[in-house]
Amino acid sequence: MSLLNSARTAGRTDGAGRGGFVMALRAEWTKLRTAGGAGWLCLLAVALTVGVGCGTARAVRCPDAGCGQDAVRLAMTGVTVGQAVVAVLAVLVVSGEYGTGMIRTTLTAVPNRLAVLGAKATVVTTVVLASGTVAVLASLLAARHILPGNGFTEAHGYAPLSLADGPTLRAAVGSVLYLGLIAGLGLGVATAVREAGTAIGIVLGLLYLFPVVGQVVNDPEWQDQLQRIAPMTAGLAVQATVDLPGMPIGPWEGLGVLAAWTTAALLVGGLLLRRRDA
Amino acid sequence: MSEESADDGGYATRATIEVIGLRKRFGSQVALDGMTFAVRPGRVTGFVGPNGAGKSTTMRVILGLDAAEEGEALVGGVPYRGLRRPLRHLGALLDASALQPGRTARNHLLWLARSQGLPAGRVDEVVELAGLGPAARRKAGGFSLGMRQRLGIAAALLGDPPVVMLDEPFNGLDPDGIVWMRGVLATLARQGRAVLVSSHLMGELEGTADHLVVIGRGRVVADTGVAELLAAASGGRVVLRTSASAQAARVLRDAGAAVVATGPDTLGVTGLPDERIVALLARDGVPFSQVSAHRATLEEAYMELTRDAVEYRGVPAGEVTR
Repeated sequence: MSLLNSARTAGRTDGAGRGGFVMALRAEWTKLRTAGGAGWLCLLAVALTVGVGCGTARAVRCPDAGCGQDAVRLAMTGVTVGQAVVAVLAVLVVSGEYGTGMIRTTLTAVPNRLAVLGAKATVVTTVVLASGTVAVLASLLAARHILPGNGFTEAHGYAPLSLADGPTLRAAVGSVLYLGLIAGLGLGVATAVREAGTAIGIVLGLLYLFPVVGQVVNDPEWQDQLQRIAPMTAGLAVQATVDLPGMPIGPWEGLGVLAAWTTAALLVGGLLLRRRDA
Repeated sequence: MSEESADDGGYATRATIEVIGLRKRFGSQVALDGMTFAVRPGRVTGFVGPNGAGKSTTMRVILGLDAAEEGEALVGGVPYRGLRRPLRHLGALLDASALQPGRTARNHLLWLARSQGLPAGRVDEVVELAGLGPAARRKAGGFSLGMRQRLGIAAALLGDPPVVMLDEPFNGLDPDGIVWMRGVLATLARQGRAVLVSSHLMGELEGTADHLVVIGRGRVVADTGVAELLAAASGGRVVLRTSASAQAARVLRDAGAAVVATGPDTLGVTGLPDERIVALLARDGVPFSQVSAHRATLEEAYMELTRDAVEYRGVPAGEVTR
């Protein structure tokens, strides 16, 4: 639709403002609630995150005071696996509608396309943040019980994991936000490319391929550079609690890099959604 | 039923679609070439044309799903995308299969109701209206095409809209379903709504549509009442069955009619009304067994109109499938 057209549309509308967005939000929430798959995917994401976290906590040992392990990060390793399920969930919220043609019904009911994208983003991010909170808290709790048995003791310099500890709290909150941003990334990519398989391929490629490329490159400066711009390695810097000065990127800066990826994906998706024929 | 339709006491003022000079291309293919017509309240307007003529594209432009390069489409005087709760202004059924199979019919209607700020009670009303009954609690993925069409009608009527637009609603319906759909269309028009129904088969609209917009190659070929169209296609021809065809032809030609033999003892007569023909033959004592006005079918009238506009030559229009 041309600029001229949308300007006139806006002038004649009977107030497609906040009230319109609330209705779009309630519609998207009803959809997510009644499709069945979303609930199971959230459960799977939580189970994988906690399960992998427990497995890692069991496997890693700290034999002496100088082992240099990051206990907090170990506890939340499961996020690297759970994020894949979160990405799939977010992609399906959009691509599931393109696959069936229901997107046309959606855009007929809510012609303001950015409101549709905004409502989907709000709903799926909220659900992921809730599931992420459960997953991260459960992971920490499990690791708090497992790790001392593996040598992560006060004697070796490890206090029991606790959210009262500043860096641990930051890592936990950051991990939850990280999952929320992954959901946004999946949603943006899916809106741009529409087809589920392609969208999932792109998101998982972005997340897991960058680190692999980083390992193939020999030049350490390039390795650092890649870790600073890759959405997963940069974003998960928010989990680091030891040797912060030695990290390629700081915790919040790293999460900021992921936020930039997510924003870019949503912007491109939103632009294409507005411009293209449905 | 809704507040918005109550405040003007009826549908009439908002029950219109105006399509004004739409142009659109897909690549090098011209889809819409100055499409212009209007849909009025209180009648069923048939939107007819061969496949590829631009029916679905026009409907998508009306709904703001596709953008036209030129021209505009207005629903009750407003572009669709400017409507805040659009399903209260226009109810559409484009593709009955376009729903997520894992959701129950009722929940499908529920999210649509939420998107318009309509109460859940309205969902139960349209479930009844469309005759979905207990099936509404089943997953829509397992529905037959006929049940999907009913669900689509329920969705279209959710907002009690003054305008209803259905794309090929007869497709895939069994005879019972066709009768039901015809009843629905007639009822909606009788309630004062504007009803636009597309079809590539004119026969489906016989006895259903009051008005026809016939299109071909992205433009309107004819915009006319069904009665006028049939009269024009019939051309005032009278069929005469007589054993004395030579004598009858002479008498009628003398009275100024044009007469052609259409069989061993049948004549086609134009230029005289049937009553006058009977009077002339009786006067001269010419025997005859039948005088009847030739009545063209809607299908014949339509073929006549679209002969030049059929997209794919060599394929009879009726046999082209999507």
